[in-house]
Amino acid sequence: MSEEAPRGPLTSLPMIQLIVTPSKALVDEPVSILATGLPPLQVVTIKATLKDEKENLFQSRAFYKANEAGEVDLEQAAALGGDYVGVHPMGLFWSLKPKRPFQRLMKRDVMNSPFCITLDLYDSVRLKDSATIRPKASQTVQRWFVGPGVQRKQIREGRIRGALFLPPGEGPFPGIIDLFGIAGGLIEFRASLLASHGFAVLALAYFAYEGLPDKLLETDLEYFQEAADFLLAHPKIQQPGIGVISVCKGAEIGLAMACYLKQVVATVCINGPIAVSAIPLRYRDLVVPPSQLVPEHIQIHASGAIQFRSNISDPINRLNPQSILPVEKARGWILFIVGENDECLDSKAYAQAAMDQLQSHGRSNGRMLAYPGAGHLIEPPYSPCCFASWTFASAKPLLWGGDSIAHAAAQEHSWREIQKFFRQHLSPSGSKL
Amino acid sequence: MAKLIAAPLSALVDEPVHIQVTGLAPFQVVCLQASLNDEKGNMFVSKAYYKASEMGEVDLERDPSLGGDYMGVHPMGLFWSLKPEKLLSRLAKKDVNIPYQVHIELSEPHFPIKGIVVSPPMDSLTLERWYVAPGVTRIPVKEGLLRGALFLPPGEGPFPGVVDLFGSTGGLIEFRASLLASHGFAALALAYWGYDDLPSHLEKVDLEYFEEGVEFLLRHPKVLGPGVGVVSVCKGAEIGLSMAVNLKQIKATVLINGPNFVTTEPHVYQGQVNHPVPCNIEFENTNAFGFVEFYRTYEETADKDSKYCFPIEKAQGHFLFVVGEDDKNLNSKVHAHQATAQLMKSGKKNWTLLSYPGAGHLIEPPYAPLCSASRIPFVIPSICWGGEVVQHAAAQEDAWKEIQKFLRKHLLPDVGSQL
Repeated sequence: MSEEAPRGPLTSLPMIQLIVTPSKALVDEPVSILATGLPPLQVVTIKATLKDEKENLFQSRAFYKANEAGEVDLEQAAALGGDYVGVHPMGLFWSLKPKRPFQRLMKRDVMNSPFCITLDLYDSVRLKDSATIRPKASQTVQRWFVGPGVQRKQIREGRIRGALFLPPGEGPFPGIIDLFGIAGGLIEFRASLLASHGFAVLALAYFAYEGLPDKLLETDLEYFQEAADFLLAHPKIQQPGIGVISVCKGAEIGLAMACYLKQVVATVCINGPIAVSAIPLRYRDLVVPPSQLVPEHIQIHASGAIQFRSNISDPINRLNPQSILPVEKARGWILFIVGENDECLDSKAYAQAAMDQLQSHGRSNGRMLAYPGAGHLIEPPYSPCCFASWTFASAKPLLWGGDSIAHAAAQEHSWREIQKFFRQHLSPSGSKL
Repeated sequence: MAKLIAAPLSALVDEPVHIQVTGLAPFQVVCLQASLNDEKGNMFVSKAYYKASEMGEVDLERDPSLGGDYMGVHPMGLFWSLKPEKLLSRLAKKDVNIPYQVHIELSEPHFPIKGIVVSPPMDSLTLERWYVAPGVTRIPVKEGLLRGALFLPPGEGPFPGVVDLFGSTGGLIEFRASLLASHGFAALALAYWGYDDLPSHLEKVDLEYFEEGVEFLLRHPKVLGPGVGVVSVCKGAEIGLSMAVNLKQIKATVLINGPNFVTTEPHVYQGQVNHPVPCNIEFENTNAFGFVEFYRTYEETADKDSKYCFPIEKAQGHFLFVVGEDDKNLNSKVHAHQATAQLMKSGKKNWTLLSYPGAGHLIEPPYAPLCSASRIPFVIPSICWGGEVVQHAAAQEDAWKEIQKFLRKHLLPDVGSQL
């Protein structure tokens, strides 16, 4: 509800309003924000606030100058300062920052509740919150991780643990396995979003979850093959092959799946290693030894966060050659998505090396999208750029990197490309090798 | 047997320490970790990894760190890369008569992973880092309105006098004055708000208070006249510049990352009022960690037009500008260049500008850890000071030497002024 602006004795001043639409949408859909009824050329503050499922507070703000008509339209107006500068209609969303540094925003329950973001408009420059100064107008929007009709099914089949998200309708739908990284457990928000765009997606846990090992001591590719076979056996899932979307350690596994499993025909690897890392990979009789990271190659950032990206100039030559995944054996299509400012891994060097490996074997089934300024955690659009955060295993926060404006643009672009990639290579009439 | 050696074990905080390791296996990689508990019990830690020579030795004056809190050859890296366990804590010594204990440990490298079993250190030692040299005396100052502490070097003197001013944290900060006294200066650490019975909030800068401080110093039997110096940072430098313009006893002024105009409170002197320059808070930038950078806020006013600035050309003494080019709190480089341009325009050559790439706002005596962001009282949110660790450390070392040279040149009789 917007508050009424004070009215002069003779004239009736316009009411200050904040119009945010749509008020309920998928989290990857843009929102338009318009402030009206302001004094002409007034510098104002628009603030966004969100409380996550653990009641952690995330905030962002930007300062805008109203035009002659007393309006601020975020599609056109440039922020003067605050969490971002320039014309960024969704800037308040992707620049949300935790009140307590190093917390990461991540939705756990994707089915039953949205994130609620409250947008507040102040008719002055407000750098900090005040108990006495209230916003002139406010709107709250719901940001959902599932579209209407998407169903979630908890999966406990054989060894497999995860959650299967199915779009509404009969299908069949292109099937995708979704893998996250060293955080462990089951992370569902990307799978549920992809399902909202017409894919059948299995968010697959592989450790630190229900019946799975607490710690990852080796990567057993047969587990992932079981998951692939499970998907392909499902009546609502298209034959003859599935896709994989994967990030970080998940992308190492995703790439291994692409190399060794014929069921995998389209793989998206986001900021992942191209060699088996830290722990061995096992597939039937094959055991691939890992490349080891050494503590002395880690750097500590000024903030105290740890930069795992090795600080040496040639990370590829340091890899154990036996651990490098035989990407030339992959029969399907591979899309490498790389943040050039990834502070966790040498993602670009790795992806480039994999592309070179494909080329040297005369293969043309790989593609790399490299985003300057983007960091490690490339997520669906408008996700806040998380520069560093606590992870369960590390004693200190890990540095992910990313310059927020470039990172936000990378998230928007890559999400479209990922969906195009899957539609192209998973649809029955899609190109085959 | 692995052995950790450091010398001297007890020294002034701005003196280097030579750290070596012997008795390792050839080319063995080891971890050196430094830790310190500040007066509030906050722990500060740093670590670096070194590879032993073929003889099984590590010498920090010769060998590069492979990783950790810094890389490359940095004999004092463990000190200036110390980081707080509690984010946003700043290391600032309160009681300068008690040294910091810095604990150095030699151990096997390990990953910073929770629950990992760490083998006990191979060797360790503790260093004492002092803010006062032997024989330096501290005299609390409570005369007239003045509140502060006077530090005198040992001996009869007389010694060149310096007024030491800090910035927006308020209170009485003594550690730089005590170090200056350890190097032969009579240094008055002068508080101006938030201390004792001084105002709890700064409402105006009354130059007569600072003039009292200057006169107090000059009256002291152990202080050499006829003029004094000023060493000042941030808001202290705003005051230092104002003093230099108005008080003829100021012969040498060190301005570290300060504005050349009135910022938040008016300056008053002998009935004249100099009002704050308008500022645009909307030009602040919140960085990736949520800390606020204020350096753009005078872009439209003071940065553009020197009509807002102090008439520095009226000052009679000499100036040393110390600028951190990565200062995120103030646009220090622009302010200093504007001030020196004003001097040049008036045909004056009474200044030197030291500009340090990669250095942030809080340029302190050497080996002080970089504080790139912290909380200060009465200001929300947390403030980003800027600075890149390695370059900031180099700036601190160089600036400190230059500051002392500058003060001696212009405060000691005869030797320097015509060089």
